[in-house]
Amino acid sequence: MEKILRKEHLSEWLSLLDGYDIHGPAFADGVWNYARVEAGGEPALDHTNTVRPVKEFAFPQREVFFRFEQEKGGRPVLTAAVPDPKPTVVFGVRPCDGRAMPRNDKVFAAEFKDPYYWARRDQLTLVGLACAEPHSPNCFCMAVGGSPHSEDGLDVLMTDLGDRFHVKPITAKGVEIVARGREAFDEARPADKTEVQRAHDMAERGPQRSLTDLAGIADALRQSFDSPAWKELAAPCIGCGVCTFLCPTCHCFDINDEVTCQAPCKGERVRTWDNCQFPDFTMHTSGHNPRDDLAARLRQRISHKFLYFVDNHKTQQCVGCGRCISECPVGIDIVNVLETVAQP
Amino acid sequence: MSNPAKSTTPVPDEFQPRIVAFLCKWCSSAGSDLAGVSRLQYSSSAVPIQVMCSGSVSPLYILSAFKKGADGVLVSGCHPGDCHYMKGNFFARRRLYLVQKLLGFIGVEKDRFRMSWVSAAEGVKFAHIVDDFARDIKALGPQQRLKAKS
Amino acid sequence: MVKIEELQAYAAELLEKGQVKGVLGYRRGTAGPWVEPCTVTAAADTASLTWDPTCVNNLALYLVKDKKAQAASKTPDKRPLAIVAKGCDSRAVAVLLQENYFKRDEVVVIGVSCEGSGVVDKRKLSEKLKGKTPARIEFAGDDGFKVAVGKSETMIPAAEILADRCLECRAPSPTVSDKLFGEVVQERSYAAPFAAAQAAEAASEEERWAQWQHHFDRCLRCFACRSVCPMCYCPECVVDSTTIVITPQTTAEDKANRIRWCERSATPADSAVYHLTRAMHLAGRCVDCGECERVCPVNIPLRLLNTKLEKEAFEMFEYQAGQDAGQASLMSSFRDEDPNGFIR
Repeated sequence: MEKILRKEHLSEWLSLLDGYDIHGPAFADGVWNYARVEAGGEPALDHTNTVRPVKEFAFPQREVFFRFEQEKGGRPVLTAAVPDPKPTVVFGVRPCDGRAMPRNDKVFAAEFKDPYYWARRDQLTLVGLACAEPHSPNCFCMAVGGSPHSEDGLDVLMTDLGDRFHVKPITAKGVEIVARGREAFDEARPADKTEVQRAHDMAERGPQRSLTDLAGIADALRQSFDSPAWKELAAPCIGCGVCTFLCPTCHCFDINDEVTCQAPCKGERVRTWDNCQFPDFTMHTSGHNPRDDLAARLRQRISHKFLYFVDNHKTQQCVGCGRCISECPVGIDIVNVLETVAQP
Repeated sequence: MSNPAKSTTPVPDEFQPRIVAFLCKWCSSAGSDLAGVSRLQYSSSAVPIQVMCSGSVSPLYILSAFKKGADGVLVSGCHPGDCHYMKGNFFARRRLYLVQKLLGFIGVEKDRFRMSWVSAAEGVKFAHIVDDFARDIKALGPQQRLKAKS
Repeated sequence: MVKIEELQAYAAELLEKGQVKGVLGYRRGTAGPWVEPCTVTAAADTASLTWDPTCVNNLALYLVKDKKAQAASKTPDKRPLAIVAKGCDSRAVAVLLQENYFKRDEVVVIGVSCEGSGVVDKRKLSEKLKGKTPARIEFAGDDGFKVAVGKSETMIPAAEILADRCLECRAPSPTVSDKLFGEVVQERSYAAPFAAAQAAEAASEEERWAQWQHHFDRCLRCFACRSVCPMCYCPECVVDSTTIVITPQTTAEDKANRIRWCERSATPADSAVYHLTRAMHLAGRCVDCGECERVCPVNIPLRLLNTKLEKEAFEMFEYQAGQDAGQASLMSSFRDEDPNGFIR
């Protein structure tokens, strides 16, 4: 069912997607981020990569679990607030971010299916855009088993062929959204497929950052728990947490009750993003904090990505998007950290 | 606030401004008491909160009041030179000048935050200040910008 | 011109003579064109110290971090630290000295003058390069910067990619230093001081609110702005209920009833309380190093809030933060002529 979409027909396809909330990359204030595409508009598909990751569509910064309100003198009434979003399609998702979503899906479904995450995730269609070249000098998707044209986690994969896109539906959601496009598409001919193959092969030439031995990292991290190198690597860290918040696979959260009125009692139970780099992340009520210093917290984050997730789910949690490297205010570099402390 | 002295019975659907007034114990709060004891009729829109000194009013109190939905915030203290703690109101003057500038800068409507000097003998002045504030806030309408959405 | 070999030699001398336990400086990073902060402890390693337009970090932050680490340590190393400081960074040191955070003899300031230039703003550069990351950025006299992207190199005029704070800088040479590298330059003809705040003031009240509502809405409450600010050194931030300091003496009552001036979740109202409170707490202390704005992952123009207050402090109270380590602080001093007209 592979199709060709001439670039001038992109808006036609979008106009046939009624009922969908459409989002895509937009350049504003000097950075790329996802923005809603209004009727008649088009997502910009010549972007590098967005700063904010695609996880936000299924896992927003703030999610209300339920509301509680007490009748005077009575018991509190709880009202669940499971979201009911419109079907949402996001264009321009890079393959690294695409790969991140199945990793998040594992976490939110493994032992317990999180209704809030899945209410959004089930309505989300991700239309990927293959990378023609690394979008930043910090890309390393291939070093962690991905590729500039990986289909993992995406519902559709588009490849830019200059004057047109090759469009490949991958999942049922992808088939559906491409079917809606009807005459906006032409059939893909064998010559197109050859060109796509060539584009993908070119993209793999990189250049990308590399890891010496991916398979050996987990054990090397296990051995280097007490290494003094962690302290040195974390010396410039300021604990700002930007690496975690912008990471497409980081998903830790905090739950708080936000009470707006004491008597009668009224409020909301809210989930918010939490951050293992914050000082109170592992603070016990006794006051003891097993990860009191930034070196311990850096070690934790790296180990979660490349050791604990591997132990639990048989794959690395990092997808090599490079955001944590590019956005770290003090230049802490996950590839450098791994090469220093977890490679032969 | 329940059962305040009312000058007029409020019309049910008309917007009733809610003003939070931080009053220093030694001068302004006493001034508001004098207004009450003198049976002055003035707007009941202001909720008084007594603080020891206008200099002890933190910007957080003001922001918190706005966040919780206050339509106006007043800070009132002793006249310069008369502060019970000698210098507190001088610090307040500087600090709250900057708070006012900052609120204006981000686009909070001008004059939702006010400062006044009211001494313990100025019951009439206090009543006027609250009446003027209530009247001006009624014209501005409810404060939406810093209020937390429920 | 700043002669880097002379700076390196001076740093080496300080270390050899045992006058300092380390030199806080900049060295080439592993990720992209930006330098990374480093602490050089061996004289031989001073060869890695560098000075280029990517030296954006305010290293005074690490003086604060060191002080905190020594205070928490059972075997503190109280020897002085040396710091490579630009004009803005030296003013940060001056404020910390003014506030008695440390004594003058605990820090050796290696002053570096920006002369007629300054540091590059990452966002402006990104805007110019449409999101692409350069490989290298170098000074090219006072007029511009040589920027290499991939294989090509371009000259970009300084006025186009200098950080706003550099354009408005009133003191490009350090106000406090033990040794100064580069020429002292007083007159710079880029932009008037406080130009950005002034331009923002000129917008109508509705426009200003629309802008700030947009910014507060996007805030992730990652607190990177707070983490990177040298002046935000409070162990327990009054606005963030997560950093409450817990000791063995903290009762359960204390923990449960701790005041929450703003909630954990990132609603616009709570984020506004956080940012406005932080701005007030920095009044008269902010030296416009621009770090808060640089590290913000969602691009909030934070320095507008701080420079607005510094502008008021300058115009109304004739006060400049970091001018003189011996001056009184803005908020704990007053004059009889302070404005009274706004008080009824």
